[in-house]
Amino acid sequence: MKDNYAIVTEELNKIYGKGDTKVTALENVNINIKHGDYIAIIGPSGSGKSTFMNLLGCLDTPTSGKICIENIDVSKLNENDLARIRREKIGFIFQKYNLLPTLSAFENVELAMSFANVNFKKRSERAEKLLDMVGLSHRIGHKPSELSGGEQQRVAIARALANNPSIILADEPTGNVDSKGGNRIMDILEDINNKGETVIVVTHDPNIAKRAKWVIQIRDGMVSAHARR
Amino acid sequence: MLADNINLAFKNIKERKTRVFLTLLGIAIGIMAIVSLMSIGEGMQQAVVGELSSLSDTIIVTTGDISVSSMGGGFSGGNNYFSQRDIEDIQRIDGIKSVDPVLFSSGVVEYNGESQYVSLLGLDSERMTEIFGIEFLGLETGEFMDEGDQNKCIIGHNVAYEYFDVSVYLGSKIKLNGQSLVVSGIYKQQGAGMSVPTDDYAHLTTRDFKKITGQENMTGIMIKVYDIDNAEQIALECENIINDNHGDDDYANSITMSSILESVQQIIGIIQSVLVGIAAIALVVASIGIMNTMLTSVMERTHEIGVMKAIGARNSDVMIVFIMEGVMISLIGGGIGVILGILGAKAFSSVSSSGFMGSPMPIYPVITIFSILISLVIAMIVGVMSSIYPARKAAKMSPIEAVRYE
Repeated sequence: MKDNYAIVTEELNKIYGKGDTKVTALENVNINIKHGDYIAIIGPSGSGKSTFMNLLGCLDTPTSGKICIENIDVSKLNENDLARIRREKIGFIFQKYNLLPTLSAFENVELAMSFANVNFKKRSERAEKLLDMVGLSHRIGHKPSELSGGEQQRVAIARALANNPSIILADEPTGNVDSKGGNRIMDILEDINNKGETVIVVTHDPNIAKRAKWVIQIRDGMVSAHARR
Repeated sequence: MLADNINLAFKNIKERKTRVFLTLLGIAIGIMAIVSLMSIGEGMQQAVVGELSSLSDTIIVTTGDISVSSMGGGFSGGNNYFSQRDIEDIQRIDGIKSVDPVLFSSGVVEYNGESQYVSLLGLDSERMTEIFGIEFLGLETGEFMDEGDQNKCIIGHNVAYEYFDVSVYLGSKIKLNGQSLVVSGIYKQQGAGMSVPTDDYAHLTTRDFKKITGQENMTGIMIKVYDIDNAEQIALECENIINDNHGDDDYANSITMSSILESVQQIIGIIQSVLVGIAAIALVVASIGIMNTMLTSVMERTHEIGVMKAIGARNSDVMIVFIMEGVMISLIGGGIGVILGILGAKAFSSVSSSGFMGSPMPIYPVITIFSILISLVIAMIVGVMSSIYPARKAAKMSPIEAVRYE
């Protein structure tokens, strides 16, 4: 096992279906991501980049191969241990924000911490601080439906940071946001990376990919190129 | 964490007000049935037991049938008669306070030119109130006969108002077997009730009874004892003495009020369980309703469940969210049900006190803290039970599939 890596994958495969309907989404993906890296994963739609992201985020399990997150082989973990990794080590940002519609911005951020059994006082303080950091201190009581796309995504970023994870995974974070809002989101992600967190962004926008330190290209389920910017 | 779950459940309930309202209506009806039926059952118990307890020193010996119903017990005249010797023998038994013969026969009553057969009851009336308690055999009008009163009678409700084309009133003169009597009282309508069914009877003093019928048809004996504990034993002794006197092992039947009380309590117990059983069926239906609502809710919120899991919720966290929601629906429903149940019981009491179903006594439902608590606990259990399956279904969802679900 390679130490000092945030994420290591070895011979990672993901196959959907069986027999004639078999679809290979990822094939023999080997990647090492260091702590503090800022990585953009690019590729055409259907190339397998989202599948890869879901595997890294412990939302899905590989068909074969290994994923190590901070030296923990997550491919062998049970459901509850996977939930713990998602809770403690990873912050996930979705293209469609995925905030709970019944909860306010503040409560959405807080919810992530409640799963980690953080006490109410600490939770409130941190949720306020994070929402302030993403520039939404004036919107903390608003429900997602009362916020713009960009604002919702910033709440989602605050939520992803709630439990102080070391890895932030963002799947097309600017996909549903206008360009101004998109830039602001990318600035925040860059800030987060500058503070030492590992940030991995899936995108098909070359301008966004340009901001990353490393770019990994996936095509037909395989890593076809990676290059330092 | 619990507060978070309650908050989350509350918010979700608020999002689906109509559906939740309909679901909790189901549980409210079930709990309402439990609360009101339990309190009516308890009220019935207290009413009957309260009345009968005061009579528990009474033994009835009869040659006829003895019956016990949910509203009390009673007896009717048989074909055999007791003799004066029976009475005297019984009076000699230790521990007996009083012995009163009850005479049954029938006669022809003439009134306003019409004649009708009427059952006759001979029992000295001051003993009557003492034996039965005035609550049961209360008079609609008039008064009981005094010792030494002659040629007076009290007639039953049906005799007064149904037997003749023209109703018989207090003070009316009737002829019984040709002998003139003044109606000094009319019994309240008894319906199917405790002891002697007075509705179709004319009640005379024993002296008038003997004089008019020329018979001493003692088919019943009412005995009072000093010590209730000895009642059973004395009852048996009386039975044996009479059977010996007549040389027939099955001449007399005896029953103590306390044994009637026991039987009545048993019958009320059965009625109560049937009532609660009916309520339980309502609750089962309600719990299916909750389960259905929760399953729909789980399906609708598949995406949310995926999101919760993606941000680190354990399976148990997801499960608790849904169980909490089910419990909240059932507790709110239960609370409403308790209030409706209390109102329902009060409504029943106002109907029953105005002579519901010819009930011989008004039933005042008794609402106890216990019955309210037990109803709420039942509501909670129903909530938990019916949301376990949907909650498990939610908890077991794969995070990626759930998150993708739109």
